[in-house]
Amino acid sequence: MLNDIFIKPFVDMFAAPDFLLQVLWEGLVSGILYALIALGFVLIYRSSRIFNFAQGIMVVFAALTLVGLHAMGVPAWVAVVLTLAVMFGLAVTIERVVLRPLVGQPDIILFMATIGITLFLIGLGEIIFGGENKVMITEQLGIPTGSVVLEPWGGLLILEQKDITAVIVAALLVVGLLLFLNKTRMGRAIRALGDDHQAALSVGISLQTIWVLVWFIAGIIALVTGVAWGARAGVSFALEVIAYKALPVLMLGGLESITGAIIGGLMIGMLEKLFEIYWGQPLLGGNTETWFAFVLALIVLLFRPQGLFGEKIIERV
Amino acid sequence: MRHLTRLAAVAALGAVMGTGVVAQELFAPNLSYRTGPFAATGIPLMNGQRDYMNMLNARDGGIGGVKINFEECETGYSTEKGVECYEKTKGQAIVTQPWSTGITLQVLPKTNVDEIPILAPGYGFSPMADGKVFQWAFNTPASYWDAASMMLRYIGDENLKGKKVAFLHLDHPFGKEPLPLLEKKAADIGFELLPIPVGLKEMQNQSAQWLQIRRERPDYVIMWGWGAMNAGAITEAVKTRFPMDKMIGVWWSGHDADLKIVGADGKGYKSISFSYPVLDAPVMADIKKYVVDAGDSLSNEEEMQGVFYSRGLVISMILAEGIKAAQAHTGKAEISASDLRWGLENLNVTDAVLADLGMTGMVPPFQTTCANHTGHSGGWMLEWDGEKFVKVSDLLQAEAEVIQPLEAATAAEYATANAPWAVSETCN
Repeated sequence: MLNDIFIKPFVDMFAAPDFLLQVLWEGLVSGILYALIALGFVLIYRSSRIFNFAQGIMVVFAALTLVGLHAMGVPAWVAVVLTLAVMFGLAVTIERVVLRPLVGQPDIILFMATIGITLFLIGLGEIIFGGENKVMITEQLGIPTGSVVLEPWGGLLILEQKDITAVIVAALLVVGLLLFLNKTRMGRAIRALGDDHQAALSVGISLQTIWVLVWFIAGIIALVTGVAWGARAGVSFALEVIAYKALPVLMLGGLESITGAIIGGLMIGMLEKLFEIYWGQPLLGGNTETWFAFVLALIVLLFRPQGLFGEKIIERV
Repeated sequence: MRHLTRLAAVAALGAVMGTGVVAQELFAPNLSYRTGPFAATGIPLMNGQRDYMNMLNARDGGIGGVKINFEECETGYSTEKGVECYEKTKGQAIVTQPWSTGITLQVLPKTNVDEIPILAPGYGFSPMADGKVFQWAFNTPASYWDAASMMLRYIGDENLKGKKVAFLHLDHPFGKEPLPLLEKKAADIGFELLPIPVGLKEMQNQSAQWLQIRRERPDYVIMWGWGAMNAGAITEAVKTRFPMDKMIGVWWSGHDADLKIVGADGKGYKSISFSYPVLDAPVMADIKKYVVDAGDSLSNEEEMQGVFYSRGLVISMILAEGIKAAQAHTGKAEISASDLRWGLENLNVTDAVLADLGMTGMVPPFQTTCANHTGHSGGWMLEWDGEKFVKVSDLLQAEAEVIQPLEAATAAEYATANAPWAVSETCN
């Protein structure tokens, strides 16, 4: 048993390094997509202290809008622009109809409101688009669909071009987001609101404008995530459950840290894949990905309750 | 007091309205799943079922002169919601159609007490075939163990001996259902069975499962997938370059829309099926005339050409034939749940009956009895040709001699574990 836990997995890794690379690549692709979903949560939490339960359904809604518009004859890239407009409209509506009337209410009320938004978007999406699985317009968007086949150490490494594209686009999105948050006036306003609500409001930062902006950015992230996941196995309401994979990422990385969301996502993506392949499948019958990330996050919380990158809150009494 | 009486009267009226029951109707609720992660497979099935019943109502004025109230209660494939739907609809229902193995297992003991037949065509608990133990449950015309047996027969014992077979399945009661038969056959024939579970959250991200398949190099993959799992598995199989002609899915993994995602790359993928779409069948013409042209269908032309829509028609046909048999037996049009049980136990859907129904070739002939609630119709192997599923086998039959003792033993175990469990002694 000790051999199976401590020695054999590493022997297997070194015996088939091409396979290890494939496992790490698949973990990286999953991880970057987890990180994107987690980023949506973090942005909204930082600026408004709202844990946005609706982030998962926003991924589905954005992807379905894109595919639905294209099915109506709208050219692919025009459909992307229109989808962004829909996500902006959604952000404005949520701010006006849901959030603004609830300003000053306890956090739990705002959290419950996002559950309401989730249920509303599920119903609206099903009425407009139906529940059928839809094909993502991958080729129409110019996303390559072939494979890059490499033979490291005489083995086999298959990289799907759409996965490579997803990784590159996600990386660009993260860099763009960091530049926006650090180098622009609006970005600094978002950060200021995250650091201290009262102070930010006292210097004239508009809460309403910032909320619309962060929900819109979360909508953009949702669209990119929806295209990337949808290109892998179609667009359906099942995509929503993938959002739950972002929860351990947030526990691990910290609810307020953009760096934490990215590193937490990548860590969980790769570690859960490594554990599943080298320990979970041989020793536990597989399907450990459903719980591994949560266990890992709980272990981290034992030692760092604020997560790896979260801010330590010290309250004096 | 008068106020309370009025309230009680309104409540009673509301309860009746809630079930949608009015006089001269047979209430046959369907616990549908048009929403949630499994909606993609649910919608065409529900549409087929609904259209067949609407067609009977419009063309024939129902069955035996009584209209069928085919109300749907949405479960989203959630077991909890399914049980709620069962409780909500059972009052006037002559049947319950739970549409999930998880829901079926939950309501199975309840239907035994409430004396309402469960109709679970091609799903549910395989030992429900044993009518002596499961007096109120029907998985006509074929069970999951039938499906597994037919899949192994299609591959052939000589091709299985000494080989490795991966069993990729949803980690859910549905996905685990064929395991007892597969394990027995693995021991009998001498092949290695490698179960690979897929969690609900991993349905669209099965890279770990397919990395395992790449590492283990199985000779065949048998898939027990439903909903979004199917498309996830097939896209990963294409990506991993697993030979498609070595991959066979159960009948719920043979959905046209799932295969259209991979298109020509999915050529050679197979799925066992107890139904087959016959687009020029007279029943299709009647559905177009009485339902589609009347604007009563929720389906569309593309969906109506697929395997799942056609299977929905077959499933409603089974219920309709059960109702007809019960009406003929009792001599009354408004039958009870108990009467329908008799009807479902005495189905004899022959080639002549299918021709009469305009459904020749859409399902193999089958016959149920008091002791045999499945009918064991057999099925055909279908293959994806890049655009649609086509038949690639003659009628396949499950191994009755292997399945029936396993059914009897498992049914007896169930009765013992759920004692006191009423068992019928009158069937032979």
